[in-house]
Amino acid sequence: MGSGTFQDHDVVVIGGGHAGVEAAVAAARMGLDTALYTMNADLIAQMSCNPAIGGIAKGHLVRELDAMGGVMGEVIDRTGIQFRMLNRSRGPAVWSPRAQADKQRYRVAMRRLLEGEARLGIKQAEVVEIVRENGRVCGVELADGRRVGARAVVLTTGTFLNGLIHIGERKSAAGRSGESPSVPLAESIKGMGFSWGRMKTGTPPRLDGRTIDFGLAEEQKGDKDPTPFSFRTNRIDQPQVSCFIAYSNQRTHQVVRDNLNRSPLYSGRIQSIGPRYCPSFEDKVVKFPERPRHQIFLEPEGLGTNEIYINGLSTSMPPDVQMEMVRSIRGLEQAELIRPGYAIEYDYVDPRELFPSLQTKRVAGLFHAGQINGTTGYEEAACQGLMAGINAARWVKGEDPVVLGRDEAYIGILIDDLVTKGTDEPYRMFTSRAEFRLQLRIDNADRRLTPLGGELGLIGRRDLENYEAKQQRMQKLRAVLMELRIPVGSGRISAREALKRTEFRIGQLLSELPGTLRQELSAEELRSVETEIKYEGYLRQQKADIEKIRRSSARALPADFEYGNIAGLSREIVEKLSRIRPVTIGQASRIPGVTPAALAIIHVHLEIDRRKR
Amino acid sequence: MPTLIDDTIAAIATPKGKSGIGVIRLSGGDARRIVEAVCGCRGNGLRDRTTRLRSIRCPKTGEVLDQAMVTYFRAPRSFTAEDVVEIGCHGSPVVLEAVMAALLEAGARMATPGEFTLRAFLRGRIDLVQAEAIRDLIEAKTLFQARVARQQAEGSLSRRVKPIKELLVRLISLLEAGIDFADDDVPVLAEEAIRDQLQPVIAALQELEVGFGRGRLLSGGITVAVVGRTNVGKSTLFNTLLRQERAIVNERPGTTRDVVAEDAHLGGIPVRWLDTAGIRSSTDPVERIGIDKTREVLADADRLLLVLDGSAEHTEEDRRLLEELKQQACCLVINKIDLPQRLSGERLGDIEAPVVRVSALTGEGVESLRQVLLEDLGQGEAVEQGGSLVTNLRQQERIGEALRALRRAAGAVEQGLPHEVILLDLHAGLRALNQLTGETGIEDILGRIFQTFCVGK
Repeated sequence: MGSGTFQDHDVVVIGGGHAGVEAAVAAARMGLDTALYTMNADLIAQMSCNPAIGGIAKGHLVRELDAMGGVMGEVIDRTGIQFRMLNRSRGPAVWSPRAQADKQRYRVAMRRLLEGEARLGIKQAEVVEIVRENGRVCGVELADGRRVGARAVVLTTGTFLNGLIHIGERKSAAGRSGESPSVPLAESIKGMGFSWGRMKTGTPPRLDGRTIDFGLAEEQKGDKDPTPFSFRTNRIDQPQVSCFIAYSNQRTHQVVRDNLNRSPLYSGRIQSIGPRYCPSFEDKVVKFPERPRHQIFLEPEGLGTNEIYINGLSTSMPPDVQMEMVRSIRGLEQAELIRPGYAIEYDYVDPRELFPSLQTKRVAGLFHAGQINGTTGYEEAACQGLMAGINAARWVKGEDPVVLGRDEAYIGILIDDLVTKGTDEPYRMFTSRAEFRLQLRIDNADRRLTPLGGELGLIGRRDLENYEAKQQRMQKLRAVLMELRIPVGSGRISAREALKRTEFRIGQLLSELPGTLRQELSAEELRSVETEIKYEGYLRQQKADIEKIRRSSARALPADFEYGNIAGLSREIVEKLSRIRPVTIGQASRIPGVTPAALAIIHVHLEIDRRKR
Repeated sequence: MPTLIDDTIAAIATPKGKSGIGVIRLSGGDARRIVEAVCGCRGNGLRDRTTRLRSIRCPKTGEVLDQAMVTYFRAPRSFTAEDVVEIGCHGSPVVLEAVMAALLEAGARMATPGEFTLRAFLRGRIDLVQAEAIRDLIEAKTLFQARVARQQAEGSLSRRVKPIKELLVRLISLLEAGIDFADDDVPVLAEEAIRDQLQPVIAALQELEVGFGRGRLLSGGITVAVVGRTNVGKSTLFNTLLRQERAIVNERPGTTRDVVAEDAHLGGIPVRWLDTAGIRSSTDPVERIGIDKTREVLADADRLLLVLDGSAEHTEEDRRLLEELKQQACCLVINKIDLPQRLSGERLGDIEAPVVRVSALTGEGVESLRQVLLEDLGQGEAVEQGGSLVTNLRQQERIGEALRALRRAAGAVEQGLPHEVILLDLHAGLRALNQLTGETGIEDILGRIFQTFCVGK
């Protein structure tokens, strides 16, 4: 035990949200004594906004997280109540899973999972300060004055830092609805000199399902044959429920227009920037006045409750206006509000304060993950949590950080974008952010990341064996397709060649495959091999591009490189490079405004420095 | 994109302008393959440190561009320590440029200033003292390049590319929205709609590409011949236009016996003015030489100004000239409007070229003539002075790259491939255009999506 500390850990994770739990599990599984500090141990892994996980691009993130050994995928597989594969009619690279969650069961299942980790302790207490010594983290201080020693700290504060909730004209300090914010901790973080800002996000009202006439809304069913998120889940067994779609109308929009002066977004009370892709209903009405209606999704919050989440109606209007808006909608005429929607403002730290390992540049041993980095979404948070947990553990062990490339995973894109470009609105993942979208599919996430997860110690032996067996099955299939001859016109070509034709599908070949192989292979495995073959030309071209970029961008930039001494660089470029301190030439090249010519000069200076040493 | 230090670069290594021989140098792993491709040396490839005489052909048309001496230096025994090929061509800028274009088509990339030396340095060919000198040089060049890039970004080509890029960005945004917001009530573009939106982009870029022929003409300088029967005031007009006494002015027909050439600028475009002898049947042997010379010049001139005398009746010779040259003339000039006018308009017949009335003597109307000429030369496309050859080719390379990518995209649409595959090539096209106009990145595309569609819950 350290001097004056109540307890000592290798890694302390602050925050029990989606980033925090992944960070804690990863660090613990990597063999480190880990503590997760939360203000309320009952609300670990709470889904504070929509009752769903996944969605386009977000589903990719969860798959990748799972492939590396994260836990979100398996927990949603056990607690999801409606599974849908989105974009199924599109190309295989943009298929993405989404599931409605039973919020309460999700939380409980995650808590149990954490409790199953031998080296992980759950602690309920408010952290008020990050304790440092010589620019290094050495622990945290709790609200009751106790000190806890830590060799690395992962900060995942979500919307709690100076959180401020707005409902109509009223505002109250809160981390989430009904929970206290973290005010002293926010001050401690600012005191370390981080550049920070404020963001805003919002959530819709929740209704009592007994007061909704679902018969007047469109039913949206889940997939008949639900696809799990996790590579380790075999089947989804729990019962599936439906969601419903309702529509706003001109009356709803008129209610909004008549009360705009009462919305904190339009009265000037909220200045912070909210996400454009998750607009408040007020924004929808004001910015798209020509739209006669907007979709409203009625999503159950769980099997054990009647509470219904009104996805698409995020608002911070006063409760009486919210009520009027809701009741103007067909099917919701009698609806009762369980809780009103609200907007929340919170502090975030400029993610350009971070290295690609998610360690802060100012304080060694301190890692940031999740909304504190300016992101939005459970999935984005979880992925950062995993990487922060991994890298905190490696830091404690004295090992090099693990950084995923933009060509390896959406997780790599997420973190690279954040630490290189920063963000001024809550950052969300889209598939269009991926330069190498065809490579980053949900069907090959395991092939991309599971070997790494295994190396890191995040994946159990049995799961690794299953992974290997799957690779062998797919390899066998590839070999068979190479040999198998298919009649085409007057001649015969290999099945592999035939599959390159747009109209030819692997389903047409099933009867030709050896019986044992056919039985062993899952639909996803078949599809994965088919996709590789169909896209072979494109994938090969992309691989070549990736290789080229990798070779010329891998060169490391020393942390103390003096950009100001380089005569050919513009002041603007020097300023950017000095602030962001890219780790490689490649990262430097992605900073907006850094030109190829500037990179050429940096190359020369690096080489001169190297030779002088 | 980072600077690629592993691809193959090419540049004209000899100074700009006409000279006996011009050298193009390539460096990089593919240098040999690229040169062999444009030489068509099948089975008779280049050997290390050996010079061969080769026909350089356009990879697209197969047309022979030049006979050249080709020398190959295998890595690492070369200037850059990479594979290097040097091509000694005939020195004419037109030939050099055509050969460069062929090499780019075959996969080379236009080198940036100082890039050969940079490579030589990075591959350890140059010692530290030299390296530091080179660093200073590159830094200086970078500043210059930054200036050129800025000029380019604000330049006329950029202005012409922007609206085309705008169409492309719109298409990309619609397709991306259809993928990323499929769950949000966003329509997915039908094949037909993609085709309809892609075609105009390809067509406009094609037009730009064709226009480059003209752009090159401008940067290399163009020839304008002033033609007309004797004594219509060609020389006076010529002098007034050039504002200097250069040609002999004399009332007696046939004074300008030979072709007088004068280099001058017109609105920043280098122009070689040719003052011709009149064209008329003559028996005077000296004058005959001048007239033959004139016909020869007319065949080569890029632009023709046909001059008539407004104070005189339409003569048989005027009629013949009009008949012979009205297709070629870019402008019909009626001179001597300071005198009483006797030339009737209807005698001119149907001529498409603009008609400008001037008095070469008083200068009246000469400014409008200058404007008409400038317009015809497409002043908007005029390339800035200095280094225009390179700038021009670089731009052409980008346009070509964009076109190739967009044609692949059109092919993918025809094959019914998924949108993310089509988008691969659309983005490649956009990247090429970005280099001419400044960056349009994913944030701009997302911004456009959020403006266009009410997405998000």
